[in-house]
Amino acid sequence: MAFELDCRGKRCPLPIIELSKKIKESELGQEVLLISDDPATAADLTAWARMTGNEFKVISADNFLITKSN
Amino acid sequence: MGIITAGKYEGQHPIHPKARQILLDAFDQGWADPTQISSQGRQAQALLDQARESIAKSLGLKVDEIELWGEPELISPIAIWGAPGFGVSPFIYGATERSEIIGMRGKSKQFFEISVDIDGAIDLELLTQTLQPNSIVAIQSANIETGVIQNIKAIAKAVVAQNAHLHIDATASGARFVKPSYWSTLHFDARSWNGPSGVGVFALKNGARWSNPLPHTRPTRAPNSFSIPLALAAASALEHWIADEAANSTRLKSLIERVRNHVKQTISDVDIAGNAESTLPNIISLSFLNVSSEQLVAELEIEGFSVASGSACVASALEPSHVLKAMGLLTHGNMRINLNHDVQDGEITKLLALLPGIISKLREN
Repeated sequence: MAFELDCRGKRCPLPIIELSKKIKESELGQEVLLISDDPATAADLTAWARMTGNEFKVISADNFLITKSN
Repeated sequence: MGIITAGKYEGQHPIHPKARQILLDAFDQGWADPTQISSQGRQAQALLDQARESIAKSLGLKVDEIELWGEPELISPIAIWGAPGFGVSPFIYGATERSEIIGMRGKSKQFFEISVDIDGAIDLELLTQTLQPNSIVAIQSANIETGVIQNIKAIAKAVVAQNAHLHIDATASGARFVKPSYWSTLHFDARSWNGPSGVGVFALKNGARWSNPLPHTRPTRAPNSFSIPLALAAASALEHWIADEAANSTRLKSLIERVRNHVKQTISDVDIAGNAESTLPNIISLSFLNVSSEQLVAELEIEGFSVASGSACVASALEPSHVLKAMGLLTHGNMRINLNHDVQDGEITKLLALLPGIISKLREN
């Protein structure tokens, strides 16, 4: 069951900072559904995943499913 | 306060003091229109001819290949617009071009954006596949945000193989630009060599096909509405910049290398744009994960350092930098350092001593 992290209305870099905190506390394999309407989130998730070794899928324009893989 | 860095343009560095003096003297003379016959007009015309020759020589161009423009931001759009067949011919540009160049796609029936790799280099294979004999290609020699230099020689080779049109935006490299053997039009901005803002250079290679898209009744390649004092100051600044560059280029390069190595060694989770071999010797772009650029810029400001940022939370736009995005680099927590010739080594030492502490403090918040 994915944990829902609703960051709507929050500007960059808050969605990524909150996601980083949540992932840090999570167990390997945990899924997080990030909801963010900030235009920087999609681009930053790509960089974040590369830097932290985690994975993500784009579900819709504002919804991203992240899996703790590292 | 020791300000070592600048923003979008190097011209946010102060104008060279000698060029400033020329500017003030020229304004004091209150020069008449050089096209009018008067002794002052003739003097202005003679000085302007000298300035034009000096600029052409400094940039390695022929004097009849250059035109001075009073609105530099319009040079690239108009250079592209005047390329043969623009509007119907395929328009090809790099993903990290400046937005006024990317915006020209709206005026073309066909356009192709060429992606860049994580180091910012144009995908040469994709460019080669996309090129057709009637293509109009617009590529920057270097990027002002990241300092990434394109392999212009290889790009020009691909373009000439199709006998297509090549516009090069040299506003970031300025006098550091090394022109390839093939090109059609070039764009320079006097701010890149610490000249005044409001003067640009448009170059049209002898024999290249181009027609002025602006309304005109007589054959002309430029509006010629630039300011004479600014043009004289731009020529003087360029001469001084070249002399300063000869004395300082190695030092600037090693300072940027120091920043690159120190940041890599002392700070985790950082994206440094481009690699050392293919970036300008005076620019570096750093993006720190989980850091707010707004706070980073403010913290550095308190310490006396003025840095620019491509992050959306600092720039006036909501959208993050299209350049960092195209490279797949982190767009938040970004700062850009753009060194001028007069930077002191001690200023970099101070910045590097402060940066790891500032980043870890901001990450704890």
